[in-house]
Amino acid sequence: MRNLLLLFLFITFSANAQKAMPSVTIKSVKNKTYNVKNSFKEKDKLYVFTFWATWCAPCISELDAIKEHYADWTKEMNMEVIAISIDDTRTQKRVKPLLNGKKWPYKVLLDTNQDLKRALSVVNPPYTVVVKNKKVVYVHNGYSQGAEIELYNKLKELK
Amino acid sequence: MKKLLFLLLPLATVSLYAQEEEVEEKEQVRVYGGFESNAQWYLNDSGRGIDHPEKPLRSNSYLQANAQYSNFSAGLQIEAYEENALLNYNPGYEGVDVGTYYFDYKTEKIQLTAGYFYEQFGSGLLLRAWEDRALGINTALRGGRVIYTPTYNVKLTALYGQQRSGFDVSEGQIFGFDSDFNVSSLLKFEESDLSFGVSYVGRYEKVDIPDPVFDELTNAFAGKVNFIHNSFYVSAEYDYKQKDAVLDVQNRINNDFVKAGNAILLNFGYTGNGLGIDATVRRIENMSFLSEREPTFVDANSSSLNFNDKVLNFTPALTKQHHSNLANIYVYQAQGKVDFIGEPIMKAGETGGQIDIFYEIPKESALGGKYGTKIGLNASSWYNLPGNYRFAPADYDTDLFGVGEKYFSDYNVEIKKRVSETLITNFYYINQYYNTQWIQGGEIVKSNIVTGEAVYNFDTTKSIRVEAEHMWADADRKNWAGGTVELNLNDKYSFYVWDIYNYGNDDSSMQTHYYNVGGAYRHGAMRVGVNYGRQRGGLVCVGGVCRFVPESTGFSLSLSTAF
Repeated sequence: MRNLLLLFLFITFSANAQKAMPSVTIKSVKNKTYNVKNSFKEKDKLYVFTFWATWCAPCISELDAIKEHYADWTKEMNMEVIAISIDDTRTQKRVKPLLNGKKWPYKVLLDTNQDLKRALSVVNPPYTVVVKNKKVVYVHNGYSQGAEIELYNKLKELK
Repeated sequence: MKKLLFLLLPLATVSLYAQEEEVEEKEQVRVYGGFESNAQWYLNDSGRGIDHPEKPLRSNSYLQANAQYSNFSAGLQIEAYEENALLNYNPGYEGVDVGTYYFDYKTEKIQLTAGYFYEQFGSGLLLRAWEDRALGINTALRGGRVIYTPTYNVKLTALYGQQRSGFDVSEGQIFGFDSDFNVSSLLKFEESDLSFGVSYVGRYEKVDIPDPVFDELTNAFAGKVNFIHNSFYVSAEYDYKQKDAVLDVQNRINNDFVKAGNAILLNFGYTGNGLGIDATVRRIENMSFLSEREPTFVDANSSSLNFNDKVLNFTPALTKQHHSNLANIYVYQAQGKVDFIGEPIMKAGETGGQIDIFYEIPKESALGGKYGTKIGLNASSWYNLPGNYRFAPADYDTDLFGVGEKYFSDYNVEIKKRVSETLITNFYYINQYYNTQWIQGGEIVKSNIVTGEAVYNFDTTKSIRVEAEHMWADADRKNWAGGTVELNLNDKYSFYVWDIYNYGNDDSSMQTHYYNVGGAYRHGAMRVGVNYGRQRGGLVCVGGVCRFVPESTGFSLSLSTAF
């Protein structure tokens, strides 16, 4: 057990913080195919990948909260939110009506087989990964009311 | 353990090297993975008459590490269950070992995988190899897989493997083929999207009973179609499983109870701006599909099926997953298999549906107020298949249409309203019917649950969440009341205390408080959580699949991070 922990620490510290996005291909709710590495590569643009699920209340609060500021944020900087649904087939059918019912302006991708979730080792949503020039530049997990302001400040720092 | 260390050493050194050699736009080795640990210290609880298990300190830990270079990647997952796995996990999870490993080669058009892999065909009614640590499920297939995508419009998958069970694999050999064709561009659709596909899954397992009247190789087929036109969409799937022996009351197979299975899944909806409607209808008959026909062990009141062991497909309950504590006491599990308990309780599957409506009352309207109001309506109802049933000798003949005995229904409404810049309120009403008698034995329970929730922000990052809930139930453990207070100090620290109280129990000694206190620290990809409290016994469900947990009291520590 102790060895395992040491090993884990060793790997954590040796790994590079600014990591390339994994090359994973998934579909959007509109049934279009995207490669999360190569389809989101506009120079210096900030891509905010937000992992969420229809059954995750804080996730929905977070995406609702970002929506309130989205018009301002996108005007102020070159950024885009991509909502990655990790719903499995039990709840996936609720994704489409939910995001329209909530008027979310985001591109929504469906990680049904959880390939992207695994590639980024996401344990629980909400989980946010900010990508710039195909590199992960910021990671954050969890959401509490008001945290979208911290995200905004971080994005301004990164832009 | 030492061996593992050496096995992983090259991965770690490679990453150090990669860091030094970092050159823009040049291919580099990417090392990534994650670590998760859930530990529990079980205590005695005289208030509930619970003695802790012999080994009270238990933990489930997972270390996943991968390396990717150019088109190649490889990885492994080491799992540790020390001193034992948490209570009621599959006994196959014991000690420290390599759980899964894989080698992968991927280009634009082809992906080749050897080792363990996860996969799902269509809705998963025929095949889903997946992992859910909270449920102790890891049904990854060990073998090989080829995914060929000649264009963005065609995807073909072929696989062979044996399913993981504990730290071993099951006897059954699984063959699979899946296809997806998108014909929108072929038909020059601009506003529409049309795709279809067919799947095949075969399970080969030697049969010990003499002169079996069914094949050792069980074939299953599926066809699926998906159509989107502007704001409307519809999808359908049909699954058929060749005739095969059905598990009897003792969870054993014989030559006298041999049946085919099938499933029909239909989904359609409309989604416009501010409004979404979705409806699903599903009928499943005898769709238990296991990588080995008989469970590894069976005793009077349990079998390895209770650990979701060797389950090849995925039949989730199509009901809303509530986050209220009280709405998760009577949780429905899909009744997708043939289950003859006794006269008159004979089940061949389930049929029913679910409907969801999401609507946002616009801002600045009379009902919407300054910030708008969000409304969600959900209803689901599930029944046994109608038809003729005979207990001995066991047989049934179902009708395609209509419904049999009602298993479960859930009608609920959720209203979310931002009152001001600093205050958001939520309201839920849930009406449930749970046919305990047919699902697990016991009294039928009809319940009404009301929940109110408010989140108030002291400043941009400090907030408090208060939730109060009450359940009126007419049977079983009767009425409950509950409350939660959660404090978020900033984006890093949060604390909570909650309690649900079964004050309405007819047996006053059972009027228990299930209290819990805890907190969490979050930073980047890391999360550390601690909890002390009482765990209610019963089903813990994630995504419509459940695991039974016994009543317990104690401390828990959970840690997760990614690198």
